[in-house]
Amino acid sequence: MMGPDVGWYLIVSAMLFGIGALGVMLRRSPLIVLLSLEIMLNAANLTLIAFARQQGSLDGQIFALAVMAVAASEVAIGLGLIVAMARRGLALDVDAARALRG
Amino acid sequence: MVAGAWTCLLAPLAGALAITLCGQRISRRLAGWISTLTTFVAFGGAVVALFALWGRDPGNREQLSTAYTWLGAGDFEVGFQIFVDPLATVMMLVVSGVGGLIVWYSMGYMAGDDEERRFFAYMSLFVFSMLLLVQAGNFLLLLVGWGLVGLASYLLIGFWHHRPEAVAAAKKAFVMNAIGDATFALALVLLIWETGTLEYTGVFEQVDGVSSTMVNLIALGLLGGAVAKSAQVPLQTWLPDAMEGPTPVSALIHAATMVTAGVYLLVRAHPIFEAAPDIQSLAAILGAVTLLVAGLIALVQWDIKRVIAYSTMSQIGYMFLAAGIGAYGYAIFHLMTHAFFKALLFMSAGVVIHHLADEQDIRRMGGLKDELPRTHIAFLVGTLALVGIPPFAGFWSKDGILASALADDSALGWTLLACGLAGVLLTGAYAFRLYFAVFRGPRAEAHAEAAHGHGEAPRSMMLPVGVLTVLSTIGGLLVIPGVWHPLTDWLAESAEPLVEPTTGEEYLISAISVSIGLVGFALAWRAYRGHRQLVTRPDAWRVLEHKFYFDELYDGLFYRPAVAISNGLRRNVEEPVIERSLDEIGSGTIQASGGIARVQSGLLRSYALAVAVAVLVLIVVFVSVR
Repeated sequence: MMGPDVGWYLIVSAMLFGIGALGVMLRRSPLIVLLSLEIMLNAANLTLIAFARQQGSLDGQIFALAVMAVAASEVAIGLGLIVAMARRGLALDVDAARALRG
Repeated sequence: MVAGAWTCLLAPLAGALAITLCGQRISRRLAGWISTLTTFVAFGGAVVALFALWGRDPGNREQLSTAYTWLGAGDFEVGFQIFVDPLATVMMLVVSGVGGLIVWYSMGYMAGDDEERRFFAYMSLFVFSMLLLVQAGNFLLLLVGWGLVGLASYLLIGFWHHRPEAVAAAKKAFVMNAIGDATFALALVLLIWETGTLEYTGVFEQVDGVSSTMVNLIALGLLGGAVAKSAQVPLQTWLPDAMEGPTPVSALIHAATMVTAGVYLLVRAHPIFEAAPDIQSLAAILGAVTLLVAGLIALVQWDIKRVIAYSTMSQIGYMFLAAGIGAYGYAIFHLMTHAFFKALLFMSAGVVIHHLADEQDIRRMGGLKDELPRTHIAFLVGTLALVGIPPFAGFWSKDGILASALADDSALGWTLLACGLAGVLLTGAYAFRLYFAVFRGPRAEAHAEAAHGHGEAPRSMMLPVGVLTVLSTIGGLLVIPGVWHPLTDWLAESAEPLVEPTTGEEYLISAISVSIGLVGFALAWRAYRGHRQLVTRPDAWRVLEHKFYFDELYDGLFYRPAVAISNGLRRNVEEPVIERSLDEIGSGTIQASGGIARVQSGLLRSYALAVAVAVLVLIVVFVSVR
């Protein structure tokens, strides 16, 4: 077994996840929100790979690949939405886009 | 033989389908011919079946032919099957033969109507339904035919749908019949429960083992169906109103199809009724009551078709009486002769109505003897056969029924005989009243100017009338007491009669009933000579004109309470409870959702916060619970 203990990886992952979550909740630019989401997904990936390494199985790594695919498609849609918003001259502010309120 | 019977059943259906599918592509005349010819093909099939059955040994004259299993549920199976036996062949011949003549006649009668194709499709459907009814191999298929007959009669009574009275009459016929259909269906459910089958032979073998309460209930249900379909008291009110349909339809309903179905059922299911003798006597009593009630009402009616309609009710009463005391052969024999002379009477009345440009009131008729000499003879033959004057058809069959009542030799038998003889008096009176009013005397002023002299009807109408005149004259000679009786012998193989009058009794009754019939004739003659009505007391007249207040009674007993209850329910339940509660539910939902909707702020970041908090809470809960 090489490298540091799995606990360290989890700590890094938790920090990344927290940063990402705070970014989603606090920032108002949709681009930054999207970036923060990516950070959260990658934190999850890091956890998966760390555990895969600890368990000595490939399942976690395969799962991480699936998460990346999902993340990529999510970014494609999210960026598309942002571009569409920009083209229509809407404010790039998630708080301004409240047309779906009840 | 089986092929003949199937041909008989399916030919009219094929005719109805062909007319329906071809629609406007065929001429109206061709539609009439298709309907007529397919009905006569059915008659041919019935003749083939009759002779094939005749060729067999006695005791082996029953044939069940199953096309396929129609319904199956576990052990319970119902096939699409026909049952050919002596009773069925006689009914097939009457239905298809008389039905064919009537359809043929209606080609002339309906010429020029707007919707002849529809008419002939319905007529074929009617004949098919009745053939299905009489040929069905089990009770369920019988019920199918039963219901189809009701449907076809509804369609035809309401054929002139632009007339509100016709539509109301059709609805009334349908509703009254539905009551009977319901009791019939309930009886079938009990039969399945008790015997596990609906096939005739299977049911009749097991009916002795059924408890008497059950068998009484079953017989009562079947009797309810028969009473409704045959327009007996107390479900008789639809029949006179059914005169709103075209005259050939009346002829078909009264002679060949529909009202005879009840009699057929009583005879077909005779083992069930024999196992429930009280109910069988009830059938006879209802028949006796009906024949008196209808005979009395017929004395005062003004509509030529209604008089004949009441005479049908009265004659079907005789058949019920016969079936009720177990004189099955004579019941069917009277059904047959009645089909001849009643179809004849209706068709002659149709010629009269045609001649007078749709006039049906006998007060505006009279003196038609010279204008319509051939129709006059036909109508006279029909009247004589109806009253039972020898040697015309009705004489032989009606006297057979009365002699059977005498041979029954019980208190009930004597009562029934008295009713039957009183009915003969009434029959003589109302039948000759009608005859005198229509054909004798001076021409009524009203039509003398109105009639443009259609004269005798076209040949396509007069030929069937001629055939039926001959049949009404000689049709009764199939049973001559003491000489020969092939018809009742033939029918006895299907339904062994319970009473068998001796030849002496037959001739005794014949002498009495013919003299009573002549007394009826004399009454009508005296009233006619004296320019009086048969019923002179105004209060009695009023009761009879209101048909013993049956319609008013049902109106007060069922219709008004039903309307009152519905209105009460609407005011006290529907409006305050149901409608208000629905309003409450609606407004409550709107209020609640208004509150909840405020949570959906549209702020993306607050959603994310909510998700995060929820996840944290869940984690805490799961960790701490574990």
